[in-house]
Amino acid sequence: MDTPRPLNLIAELTYRCPLRCAYCSNPLEWADVRDGLDADAWGRVMREAARLGVIHVGLTGGEPTVRRDLGEIVGHAAGAGLYVHLVTAGAPILPEGLDPLIERGLRSVQLSIQDADPAASDAMAGAPSFERKLDFARAVRARDLPLTLNVVLHRGNLERVDAILELARRLDAQRLELAHVQYYGWALLNRAALLPSRAQLDRALERVEAARARGPSPEILIAMPDYHRERPKPCMGGWGRKMLVVDPAGRVLPCHAAAGLPGLEFWSVAERPLAECWADAPGMNAFRGEDWMREPCRHCPERERDHGGCRCQAFALAGDASATDPVCGLAPDRSAILAARRTAEAADEPPLRHRSPSTSRRKRSESVRN
Amino acid sequence: MSDARSELEARLREIGESRYHHRHPFNLRMHEGTLSPEELRTWARNRYYYQTRIPKKDSAILAKEGTDTPFRREWIGRIHDHDGEKPGEGGLALWLDLAEAVGCARGEVEGLHQVLPGVREACDAYVAFVESHDLLESVAASLTELFASDIMKVRLAAFEKHYPWVDAAGLRYFRTRTEQAPRDAAFGLGFVLDHAETHEARERCVAALERKCEILWSLLDAVEAAGRQPALVPHAQVRFDEAEGRTLVVLPERAVALNESARELLDLCDGSRSAEALACEIAHRHPEAESAYPDAHDFLEHMEKAGVLSSA
Repeated sequence: MDTPRPLNLIAELTYRCPLRCAYCSNPLEWADVRDGLDADAWGRVMREAARLGVIHVGLTGGEPTVRRDLGEIVGHAAGAGLYVHLVTAGAPILPEGLDPLIERGLRSVQLSIQDADPAASDAMAGAPSFERKLDFARAVRARDLPLTLNVVLHRGNLERVDAILELARRLDAQRLELAHVQYYGWALLNRAALLPSRAQLDRALERVEAARARGPSPEILIAMPDYHRERPKPCMGGWGRKMLVVDPAGRVLPCHAAAGLPGLEFWSVAERPLAECWADAPGMNAFRGEDWMREPCRHCPERERDHGGCRCQAFALAGDASATDPVCGLAPDRSAILAARRTAEAADEPPLRHRSPSTSRRKRSESVRN
Repeated sequence: MSDARSELEARLREIGESRYHHRHPFNLRMHEGTLSPEELRTWARNRYYYQTRIPKKDSAILAKEGTDTPFRREWIGRIHDHDGEKPGEGGLALWLDLAEAVGCARGEVEGLHQVLPGVREACDAYVAFVESHDLLESVAASLTELFASDIMKVRLAAFEKHYPWVDAAGLRYFRTRTEQAPRDAAFGLGFVLDHAETHEARERCVAALERKCEILWSLLDAVEAAGRQPALVPHAQVRFDEAEGRTLVVLPERAVALNESARELLDLCDGSRSAEALACEIAHRHPEAESAYPDAHDFLEHMEKAGVLSSA
């Protein structure tokens, strides 16, 4: 088949991060993945990505601003003609740290905030960071850069969605991404403490609709928890289709979590050209297109929309990456989702297990299947 | 019954007070004297399109079920008032005089080539409303005339005071309407009050007048938007996409593809010229493209909604 054109490069510059969020989207084994690419190597990735047709690059992590050579990397990305977007937690970068990045071609910023309540935000982040994030958001707007505020929603902060909406308005964010926790890695480990009940979710959605009716700014994007849906999400817009992830070691992946799937061989830009890693790595082709699909996906009219859902979720919940995403109402392995929903309706919340180097190393050999 | 009658009249008058376009920001600026000559010309040229729809609307009313000889004898006078007894007379001709007095070329206005898409839509919606609603609602929709006389007086005074460069001969339309509107409105109001005999009919009359106020309002929205001065947002990246051979405007998390004519227009958006001036420039450059002018306005509006352009 023809290799699709990637439009978006997600450049995970490092997995290091000063925060310890209990729903971190980095792999559980992040502490083992070293920063394998220097600025020049990233420069090569940017140029090759541009040649492949990539339009946007998101510089992310971990926390990309822990890298001292971030300015150089921004310069390489802008020089390659990419639209350069920084995805940050607002630390350790300081407001004045923005200026050299803007000079080198940074165009937009996404800032994550864990909650509208300062204490709750700091508790989730595992570090006092809320005030500093607000200062950083103001610094972004003072420099006339577009700001996307990203807040990961879960049962602990869903009730404060009004305050979150108000915070985004006050910070003059252009966009507010209300991204529900996706249950992989750390979030899957903490699922019982994070997954909201259906009623909680519906109340929050009502508040969001009311905010949208009040005015167009900020633009509000909301990602529902797929556990409460009847059909799977079109994960990453399809495997190896539009999004290209390069992890800190240089591995080219279809998504943030795919390196955790057993038996898939991905290639690294440290060893081969990006185009080859994208087009020909066996792992990249394992779930491209529809040939891999089984029933009920294979003949499902919705496969063109959802591309069969999420392979990582199929592996995590059904133990088989080729299975139908258990979120789907037609999936044979639906029971795992239904059980998680029942737990979410119960009131008890186990304590959160925060991301840390020591838990990461402990998780190295454990198999985590809930 | 007479309670219901006076209550309906009060409601209709209240709609005028709260929703008629005398409150529209564009009219407020016109009347306080802060419109530029270009803005006045845009208004006059576009409002002419509205004037051309009026005899069509009145013809549709004359053709309606429920009209009788006395009604038609009265109502047909509106068409005579508008079209005149002979060339150079009537409301349409007087409006062309006004357009000329504010600096428009008469032929250009008459040709209706530079009517804003939003204005065309609003005016056509009025004719379509009358065509698709019954006689009572159609007459009720015309009752904005109840409020026309007052606005004409304010406007006349404003032109004399703030726009002395406009030749007084061009203001005859306003003077004529201050006489015609009260007479027409009195007939229309009497008809509505006489015929809206049920609660349901009265509600339909109220809704019709509200709809008409919305139409007049949106006409001015479009005229006002034409005066904005769009510029590319500072964080946008304009680049050529070799893979698909087209220009892209790239923004955070999205990209908008432009064809050649869109690119030409976008390159003109430097924040110093109005949407109206830009659309005229494009129409001037491409005389062969019949819809260049409205297409340019549609494109500018679309790009503003997409976050590609912003206006000071």
